[in-house]
Amino acid sequence: MLGGCRVSRRQKAEGRRQKAGGRRQKAEGRSSGRGSSELRLLWTTANALKIVTAAPADCRLLFAKGMKKLRKRRLPNRESVVRVGVDTGGTFTDFVCEIKGRLQIFKLASTPADPAQAIIAGLRRIGEITATEPANLEVVHGTTVGTNALLQRRGARTALITTKGFEDVLAIGRQARPELYNLNAIKPPPLVADQLRFGVPERVSSAGEVLEVLKETDVNRLLQKVKRARVESLAISLLFSFANPAHEQQLARALASLDIPLSISHEILPEYREYERTSTVAINAYLQPLMGTYLRRLAAPAQDAHAAVNKQRPKTKDQKPLFLRVMQSSGGSISASAAAEEPVRTILSGPAGGIVGALRAALAAGFPNIVTFDMGGTSTDVALCDGGALRMTNEANVAGLPVAVSVMDIHTVGAGGGSIARVDEGGSLRVGPESAGADPGPACYGRSLLPTVTDAHLVLGHFADGGLLGGEFKLDQARAREALKRLASDMTKAARREVSITRAAQGVLSVVNTNMERALRRISVERGYDPRGFALLPFGGAGGLHAVDLARALRIPTIVAPSAGGALSAIGVLAADVVKDQSRTVMLEVSPGLAAKLEKTFSEMENSTRTALRAEGFKEGNQRHQRSLAARYKGQSFELEIKQTIGDIAAAFHRAHQARYGYAQQGNIVEIVAARLRSTGVVKKLKQSRLPHFDGKSQAKPFTHIEVFFAGKKVRAGVYNRDELRAGAKLQAPCVVTEYSATTLIPEGVTVRVDFYGNLIIDLQQP
Amino acid sequence: MKNFDPITLEIYRALYTSVAEEMGIALRRTAFSPNIKERRDYSCAVFDSAGRVIAQGDHMPVHLGSMPMAVAAALKAVEIRSGDVVILNDPFAGGTHLPDVTLVMPVVSSQLSVVSSRKAGWNRALPPVKQLTTNNGPRTLFYVANRAHHADIGGATPGSMGLATDVYGEGVRIPPIRLVQNGELDTDLMQLILANVRGNDERRGDFQAQIGSLQTGATRLLEIVERRGALEASIYAEHLIAYSARLMRHAINSIPDGTYQAEDALDDDGIHPEPVPIRVRITIKGEQALIDFSGSAPQVDGAINAVEAITVSAVAYVFRCLLGDDVPASAGLMEPIEVIAPSGTIVNANHPASVAGGNVETSQRTVDVVFKALAQALPLRIPAASQGTMNNLTMGGIDARTGSEFSYYETVAGGMGARPGLDGSSAVHTHMTNSLNTPVEALEYAYPLRVREYRIRRGSGGKGKHCGGDGVVREIETLVPARMSLLSDRRKRGPYGLSGGAAGMTGNAKIIHEGRARRIGSKGSWQLEAGDRIRIESPGGGGHGKPD
Repeated sequence: MLGGCRVSRRQKAEGRRQKAGGRRQKAEGRSSGRGSSELRLLWTTANALKIVTAAPADCRLLFAKGMKKLRKRRLPNRESVVRVGVDTGGTFTDFVCEIKGRLQIFKLASTPADPAQAIIAGLRRIGEITATEPANLEVVHGTTVGTNALLQRRGARTALITTKGFEDVLAIGRQARPELYNLNAIKPPPLVADQLRFGVPERVSSAGEVLEVLKETDVNRLLQKVKRARVESLAISLLFSFANPAHEQQLARALASLDIPLSISHEILPEYREYERTSTVAINAYLQPLMGTYLRRLAAPAQDAHAAVNKQRPKTKDQKPLFLRVMQSSGGSISASAAAEEPVRTILSGPAGGIVGALRAALAAGFPNIVTFDMGGTSTDVALCDGGALRMTNEANVAGLPVAVSVMDIHTVGAGGGSIARVDEGGSLRVGPESAGADPGPACYGRSLLPTVTDAHLVLGHFADGGLLGGEFKLDQARAREALKRLASDMTKAARREVSITRAAQGVLSVVNTNMERALRRISVERGYDPRGFALLPFGGAGGLHAVDLARALRIPTIVAPSAGGALSAIGVLAADVVKDQSRTVMLEVSPGLAAKLEKTFSEMENSTRTALRAEGFKEGNQRHQRSLAARYKGQSFELEIKQTIGDIAAAFHRAHQARYGYAQQGNIVEIVAARLRSTGVVKKLKQSRLPHFDGKSQAKPFTHIEVFFAGKKVRAGVYNRDELRAGAKLQAPCVVTEYSATTLIPEGVTVRVDFYGNLIIDLQQP
Repeated sequence: MKNFDPITLEIYRALYTSVAEEMGIALRRTAFSPNIKERRDYSCAVFDSAGRVIAQGDHMPVHLGSMPMAVAAALKAVEIRSGDVVILNDPFAGGTHLPDVTLVMPVVSSQLSVVSSRKAGWNRALPPVKQLTTNNGPRTLFYVANRAHHADIGGATPGSMGLATDVYGEGVRIPPIRLVQNGELDTDLMQLILANVRGNDERRGDFQAQIGSLQTGATRLLEIVERRGALEASIYAEHLIAYSARLMRHAINSIPDGTYQAEDALDDDGIHPEPVPIRVRITIKGEQALIDFSGSAPQVDGAINAVEAITVSAVAYVFRCLLGDDVPASAGLMEPIEVIAPSGTIVNANHPASVAGGNVETSQRTVDVVFKALAQALPLRIPAASQGTMNNLTMGGIDARTGSEFSYYETVAGGMGARPGLDGSSAVHTHMTNSLNTPVEALEYAYPLRVREYRIRRGSGGKGKHCGGDGVVREIETLVPARMSLLSDRRKRGPYGLSGGAAGMTGNAKIIHEGRARRIGSKGSWQLEAGDRIRIESPGGGGHGKPD
């Protein structure tokens, strides 16, 4: 609460400054006195600051007039900009920026009804502190606006245009039902309603030849129908448009007169399988208006707000919009205008930032092979990075709808701290997917008697101070015990022997760990990776509570518990490079002339992105172009990606097939389906802040000792405060490491040290 | 044996299920025929050392319920050793219909040392591998099996789903024999099989994918045993079976005791015009259920005879739907259920009956009739009838683009029956199948065919307080001369409604030749000229409750 008071004083001060006018504020911002007083509020990563405040309620009003069309803009000079990473989460909006080589972090309470409010408030604060004009702020944003709109079906009124006879492609889908044995299963309704799906007479063959010409009269008729339908956006997806886009282009030209956002299938996803492609394009159209408005609003400069209050203030060149980029689901950032055009690429923007942040922390610590484990209240995201690289998929499914653009291969399970435990009719202990959420929340939140994972931890003494958020959020021990007592009695009945409360609590953790383990297996073992060659990187509120148990189950030898785990996503979006992905369907069999053909395709693609990246301020030396091929045995439907693009491509493919599926078919023809290019504009690397050194041979001192249950046994464990740990320190297991937004449990039998960056390196191998 | 740990039980359920799922993924991603890779017409399962199923992936209900008989038949006929893979499709020895080919492989303890030594050196801290057995010899710990529907298995008509009058006319019959022996593929046998089927390059690749999928499953199971010990793994396999049985007993117990009867019929057998009735009498007594099909029609000449495995599979499906939870799909589910299917009837046909449609059509009607009987006991839970057919369409000929044979197989979705309190879904596969469609763009790449229309057949669902889902219209043009076969039903009487809801519309099929449409029967084979089209309109689901 102390932090809250301090902040409210700050708000008042801000209010006064606003009235005083922009010019003066700028002058103040530059004065060293004020700058240093503000910087005291911004701590470094190792001692992450905890400012929790609500954004001013009148933000909306202040910023409403600041909206401008988004436009692509060349940054004058990459060196003078202040880069800011912003990640919107369910509870907090995290901000990270690099000021004078130091990484600064703070959190504001999120404003879920209008996520922009919190962001605008935070950006304004950064602008003031660093005395930077909005035009020199470069903001990279990890957003959940698209995902949430899709999950809650709050997108635009969208029309879809298809080949006549195939208007129901979205409604039929793949004709399968979602759950095999559930008589009451409901198929998610299509994003575009029946009466808004229009067919046009036209047809292109699989070879791209026009079988039926699209007539102008039909185009005009369609135009009238669409006009009458009063839609906010339009998706166009004709059969085989990737083989010959002429008809889609013809429609796009005609429909441009409506002046509403268009999503065209051969531009967004030029690949076969009409349902997956159409779904992707429809999602894009569904999100376009919303995302456009949201991003335009964010891109309007913070100073416009002041201008709106102070109407006398003349319009000057400082009213340039800030430079806004958005994290895309595949791990790089794209410009705000690109994100507004193709919002489907940002569908996993939020979790993607976390994975980039996790990978960055891991690489700094010397671990290029990691499995990330981001466990929150209701769900857990896991992903795998191999050799410092992110893994992609184009078979993702979001809110029951296929998304076939390339996204990070993230697996989400409906299990988290709030997952509810129960004994089912057959006597098995089940945990989740039902969650107590934030309201009523776990039993220990004081409003329910639902036994959850968090209650189990509390009963077992895992929260050293008996609360969350550094003890600010008190938990109700008695309620947690009562909830687990009931569970224990159900378990006693099922097992026909006495089950104690601690045994029940331990059981809840074991079962939830099994669910997590299954998720981790899915992204590792099931994709042909042996977890023993990887480090586990836990983050999110509950990651550290389960990390050691999971690492043991999967035989992962090392855990890297990152410092600033609570702001990893914001750091990730800031650290993310600018990425442009391209893919061209080539359909070539491996043959002697192949290399030359591929070379031509690749160099065409490279030339176009080289120019685009240069326009965004990336010199040749800061560009990377990574080629790869999507290949398969002729006749298969699923490709494997291979990095080798010259030489014996077939042999490389046989090896990849052998590694992934356990066999290769040497006699079969290898077919190259697509040439892919990932072009990267490398952003200036963030400095990793280092901790003050500590005598490496000594043990760190726990600030207290408590009694906790680890694996069913009561033990005396030291409690360490993460913020006080120094590089090189060793911790005595068993112990509990607490920090503001997370707790790490360290049972016996492991060694723990703190590295130079404040990460806990937990070694599970016995010395 | 009685005591188990609820936590460990849940862990094993997840572990074994993930093995079956992983096998499915491997199969789909490496298969060659669109029917497997696009439509996912396959299933994978894990069995204990006695051949009892302990886990299945959520694939095709008709496969899942009948695969245990395949493994049992393989165990009976062949002494399976480490490194063997048994192949079979004989409907009268563990199979269902000929295109569904099942592969079975043992997972043997002697392979364990191979796995652990290969991975030695990775991690010094690994817990020591638990001592496996007390006896010395290698021991079979599990069996893994998969079943895939091959788009052609020989016989008179391309796609092997035509209207033969005995099983010999339906394709190659493979009794349980070794396809792989001691780790070596029997190439002679493979050649014999491939010589008798159309599109043999595709078939060869699919068999290889099936074997690869089994290896994937075996490796994963050995890892589990290595980590947790063979003893615990087998004890908990046992517990999983008992657990499923408990859940099923609980579900049956919630059905009011009594006897419930129902009757429904297939339109005809494609040869004779008479309906082919299926009758059931269900007796619920406490935690036990007796499902008696006495009084059903004798086996018929046309290819809609079902073998017993299919009928058991249909009953298993219905009762599993009543559990309303993701129970482990183990052998225990059928423990409290007894099925009586008299020999020589449509629901338990004898050699040499033709059986192509038993699996896909008769199984659906069996489900309809069992649900209809249960609706009397559970009027607030049981849905009206769904489309009740799979609209099996096969087309084959010579692809002029390549000069090679093609064989296309597809099942067409329809309307789902209305649920008490909920409309039925439109354009979905229901009950015994859940295969996907072949995307239009995948289909036209793979075959000399062109899809002309694919849409929801609006208004075909039965009216009611809650309406049945609508069927589908799918019209396909052939670009070359082709032999087309159709096995379908619900062309004469629509899927029934319940509690006053109307029946769904019947389905129909037409051949369009030079712009003129001609209605054709529900079952048979026809010769199509280049440019001809086949149009299928699938049935709607039945309605539920009187319309307001």
